[in-house]
Amino acid sequence: MTHTSSFDQKYRGVPGALAPRSRPFIQRHPSVMIFIACLALFTLVVTVLSEGFGVGLISTSFVKTLGKTLCLCLVALAMDVVWGYCGILSLGHMAFFGIGGYAIGMWLMYARTELIVVQSLAAAPLPPTPEEISQGIATQIFGVVGASEFPPIWAFAHSLPLQLAAVVLVPGLLALVFGWLAFRARVTGVYLSILTQAMTLALALYLFQNDSGLRGNNGLSGLQNLPGQADTPQSTISIWFFWAAALALGLGYIFCAWMVSGKFGSVIRAIRDDEARVRFLGYSVEAYKLTVFTVTAVIAGIAGALYYPQAGIINPAEIAPIASIYLAVWVAIGGRGRLYGAVIGAAFVSLLSTWFTGGQAPDINLGVYTIQWVNWWTVLLGLSFVVVTLLAPKGIGGLFDLIGKGRKS
Amino acid sequence: MSRLLIILWCLMCAVPAVAQDADAPIQQVMQAHAAEIAKASRRTIQPAIDALTDSGLPAAEIVLERWQAKEMWQDEATGLFVFAEEIDRDTIRIFDVSGPDIGEVSDEGYKQLKPNSGVRGLIAAALVKFQLTNDSPAIRRVALDAIARDPNESHLPALRDVIPAERSANLAAQMTRLERLLTISFGASEEEQIEAIAHFEGDLGVDVRGALNPLVKTTIKAAETVPEDPALVRALRPGTDALSKSDAYALLVADDLAPPLIPADAVRQTLIANIEDGKVAGVQVASLSTVQARNAAFATLVAEGRANPAATEQEIDDRLDAYQFFELYTGAPAVAIAAQSVLSGIETKVALNQTADLALDAISLASIYFLAAIGLAITFGVMGVINMAHGEFIMMGAYTGYVVQLFIPDHTLSILLAIPLAFMVTFAAGVAMERLVIRWLYHRPLETLLATFGVSIALQQLAKNIFGTQARPLTAPGWLDGSLVINDIVAISYIRIAILILALIFLAVFLIVMNRTRLGLEVRAVTQNPRMAASMGINPDRINMLTFGFGSGIAGIAGVAIGLYAKVTSEMGADYIVQSFMTVVVGGVGNIWGTLLGAAMVGTLQKVIEWLNPSNTLAAQTYMILFIILFIQFRPRGIIALKGRAAEA
Repeated sequence: MTHTSSFDQKYRGVPGALAPRSRPFIQRHPSVMIFIACLALFTLVVTVLSEGFGVGLISTSFVKTLGKTLCLCLVALAMDVVWGYCGILSLGHMAFFGIGGYAIGMWLMYARTELIVVQSLAAAPLPPTPEEISQGIATQIFGVVGASEFPPIWAFAHSLPLQLAAVVLVPGLLALVFGWLAFRARVTGVYLSILTQAMTLALALYLFQNDSGLRGNNGLSGLQNLPGQADTPQSTISIWFFWAAALALGLGYIFCAWMVSGKFGSVIRAIRDDEARVRFLGYSVEAYKLTVFTVTAVIAGIAGALYYPQAGIINPAEIAPIASIYLAVWVAIGGRGRLYGAVIGAAFVSLLSTWFTGGQAPDINLGVYTIQWVNWWTVLLGLSFVVVTLLAPKGIGGLFDLIGKGRKS
Repeated sequence: MSRLLIILWCLMCAVPAVAQDADAPIQQVMQAHAAEIAKASRRTIQPAIDALTDSGLPAAEIVLERWQAKEMWQDEATGLFVFAEEIDRDTIRIFDVSGPDIGEVSDEGYKQLKPNSGVRGLIAAALVKFQLTNDSPAIRRVALDAIARDPNESHLPALRDVIPAERSANLAAQMTRLERLLTISFGASEEEQIEAIAHFEGDLGVDVRGALNPLVKTTIKAAETVPEDPALVRALRPGTDALSKSDAYALLVADDLAPPLIPADAVRQTLIANIEDGKVAGVQVASLSTVQARNAAFATLVAEGRANPAATEQEIDDRLDAYQFFELYTGAPAVAIAAQSVLSGIETKVALNQTADLALDAISLASIYFLAAIGLAITFGVMGVINMAHGEFIMMGAYTGYVVQLFIPDHTLSILLAIPLAFMVTFAAGVAMERLVIRWLYHRPLETLLATFGVSIALQQLAKNIFGTQARPLTAPGWLDGSLVINDIVAISYIRIAILILALIFLAVFLIVMNRTRLGLEVRAVTQNPRMAASMGINPDRINMLTFGFGSGIAGIAGVAIGLYAKVTSEMGADYIVQSFMTVVVGGVGNIWGTLLGAAMVGTLQKVIEWLNPSNTLAAQTYMILFIILFIQFRPRGIIALKGRAAEA
């Protein structure tokens, strides 16, 4: 190590000083390296086995399930940063996830309907005016809720860049405003959880209305069809989204790992452990919390924008408070306070849920009663969640500690 | 032998013909209108019905009744009318219209009269006159109700005839009111109508407004000057809320005062009609993809005289300016003005009463929220334990009520039994949950929240597995059916009153238990300082267990009450949990009066928002939650905030 920064020279040896920053970030955090390697290997294996680009051992629908799972892992990462590291039990991150989905879904639906409308109007004796095209699209999209005009929130739906900006900006701004109001009023702990849950409920109820401008409980549908890619088979598109989701998860992981390391990470963990003391030490607790809340909301929005084109449909039920509770369940079962724990929890529980509720799990015949997993899985999930909270607060991630301990001794 | 049979058969056939009394007065009246009766139509039948009712014959009422019931037949040979009952497909038993049984005959030669619904309506109106003089007060009341439902002009004299003879004071009052009401609509002179209208000053009845509203109907007219007409209501200007410009112009077009507008689509149609060799007026069709290009091409067509020019905005405005628009009463002006002034008075009173009704609704909703939240006020407010499965305890209570009703069909008894049973079930569930889960997590509120979420998810799915996803009924006892009706606007159902009373009882129980019993004292001691309490000989574990069980048990009773008012489903608890927490948080944690105020505020707010936007209860809930989020900004510790050390705990 030949070069050291002035910072290191000044504080070297001071108790509690930061680790030397000279080594690259990845080297200081080998777990990030391992995670990225695993993710890359997984992506490669799935690609090779897929129908679109490989031998076809994995069905397209399963590739989609895996791609969706990666998006859920990404939102779980965000949840872990805000809850596991900063101690804010947000029950609103699935709402941000849904907003991201709605934002991208508006463009997908608009662009695809536009193609259909232009095609159908091409046969008319006069070439269509922009007004006629817009009218046609509006009638197509909003016919189900009895409207034929574009609501103001669709003003940018024609533009992919603007809607992509909305994926980031809308959850970010909502989180910023809500967080500013809540943190400023020093709402903390369970009160904050309930307040975020109320926000989620309010948003879901609002979207359920037909005149919300987002097609009420019909939601947005047909999102799996990319505009202009009508000839591309779903097997190919699914792999594209799988790659995008893997890339987003990889980048998100590095970003979150970077965020929770260093001084910023120390401060937010300190806020989790004793907020008042951090405040007395002169840190602006509200600013830190607001930053974490907003940044993780943006990550959730991005995850949602990648998730719903694979799911194909989004409706307000996806935003209901229970979804955010499940998110907390995943992170808790995986092990909060460690990033790979959140990823493992989300992947493990959501894949297991798909398996059980998809009717693939074998029913257990007890003679007097047959346990059908479709019905009993949720009961099992709820109870195991209680058990994990009581007996294994570190979750599945805690197992890694045991392995580490075993190796040392 | 066979000859004898033939003779007998002839005799049997002959007997009925002989027995029909063609000279009976009622038959005479009917024969006078035989053609109309046989081929009854709504437009021509009135004289026949009038002849029957005016005949003064006692049999007329029976004739009308049986005619209405399609029990009157006509002998095709003689044209005489008979009553008949069908015995089987081919046989009927006939009676003379004056009464006597004639016997069973084949239905050949008889034709059933089937008056259509319009005719039956007229017959019913005529029958009312007989019913009004019937000896039974019940039948007279039915007749009055029938008139009130579907009044017609002929009822007015009938009513006037019977009022002086009416013996029941109650019925007489009803009759008088109905007579006044009918006078408004069918009074012979304007003076009579106006006098009747004045009679209803400040009356809130829906029927009064129903009778007055047609009288104040208006129509909008256009002319070059506003006429001096007593029926004139007001002058209108086009482009205001009362009269839009397009409506005003349409009015001019309808009166041939202006040329019709060319619809927006017409430009397109005209252009299409004028396409020649891929060009319109020399412009390539492919370039007509903007409104401007189309308008330019259309203007060229107009200039070439191949299309009619569309009216410009300026022309429309000029035309509208050339005329005056005004509103006229369609009916008699004097009557309309009188009706309008009475109506205005009534509307003010209606608005006041609607406010009262809204207040009642708000109180009722507040009591439901209070009921849902009071258990939480104990577990969360007093103990500081956040129980997300509280909603599921409410659900459990409601399902307990449902199960009790499965075994005990008597609703009163089953509800009386369900209430203590629901308390016991949820008390046990609460104690079990406190022992197994919550006591390991005291002072770790976030983890309590998570663990109770787990319980909530599991319980909800368990209920789905046991009871299915469809809503189960929890039927209220008969004496809780119906509403307390104060007038046509203000009414409240008895169930809601019962829930309000239950909420008040709970409030009292809570206050007594917390402030007047040993348990309450110990609970308060343990909440304030468990170690100090323990050193005074109180067992904090036991107290925590009992308190949590008590709060859960109250949730169970609330579940029975809420189940009576809404359906019992596995998700009913989840519907209330956020509102319940909001109620407690808004009111101020740790204070029952705060919870009461919180419930009142949340309930009132929701009702007021619903009233402002009645079509949309979802929006009301959304705005209410947003309001609460903002409210917490200003009073983070709720309406009634604890002060001092208790607030820090």
